[in-house]
Amino acid sequence: MGNQKRIIVACGSGVATSQTVASKIETMCEDENINVNVEAVDIKSLESFIDQCDIYVSIVPTGLKDWGKPTISGIPFLTGIGIDEEFDKLKEMLHQ
Amino acid sequence: MDGKQVLLHEDLILLNYEAESKEQLLQKLSKILRVKGYVKDSFTEGVLQREIIYPTGLNTNGIKVAIPHTDSIHVEKAAILVALLKNPVTFKEMGNGINDVQAKLIFMLAVKDPSVQIETLSKLMSIFSQKDILINIYNSTTTKEVKDKLSKILA
Repeated sequence: MGNQKRIIVACGSGVATSQTVASKIETMCEDENINVNVEAVDIKSLESFIDQCDIYVSIVPTGLKDWGKPTISGIPFLTGIGIDEEFDKLKEMLHQ
Repeated sequence: MDGKQVLLHEDLILLNYEAESKEQLLQKLSKILRVKGYVKDSFTEGVLQREIIYPTGLNTNGIKVAIPHTDSIHVEKAAILVALLKNPVTFKEMGNGINDVQAKLIFMLAVKDPSVQIETLSKLMSIFSQKDILINIYNSTTTKEVKDKLSKILA
């Protein structure tokens, strides 16, 4: 088996939204038998996690900082709008 | 105390609520939580500031939602305040900060211990992708109706 990819989700306080998005992504990946590790963190501790992750899922306004990692938006996983497109993007990134 | 602590209270459910602006709305709602002892004085400022840096509006289908909240240091007791707005109030969109969101359903979250409340909050957020449920909650006519509907979802 290949190496497991790490996905990090970050929100303003790591309190609620990032956790919800992380669990949604986890479930969707499981459903398609994609082996990933998804973690939720608060934006303040993102700095210490970002180097270890393969994909970053953002819930804070883009443009605040470019982390130099493949990034997707976490919002579709909350609202359901555009979720398939965003998940496709994620899968594409996982294949790279 | 386990994760099933009660976060919903009928006196924290507001129907037909009105505010002139997002700022006024956040101030009024924070004040209710403060007067009832759920949050500290600093909660209001915390919510207002956080809303500027990390906006919480969501362009959900059916009824637009906002989930204003702030760090747990400003919170005394965990609770979820629910406000059904008579007229939409303009929030900025989460994760974007540019788009406007005409929010009509507000969940103000007073989170004390994220690890304890996460399960409830995740359940709450699972309804944001379900248009019919959002509309159904918004169309409630009594506070008890709102509480019963939400309690079922958060159970």
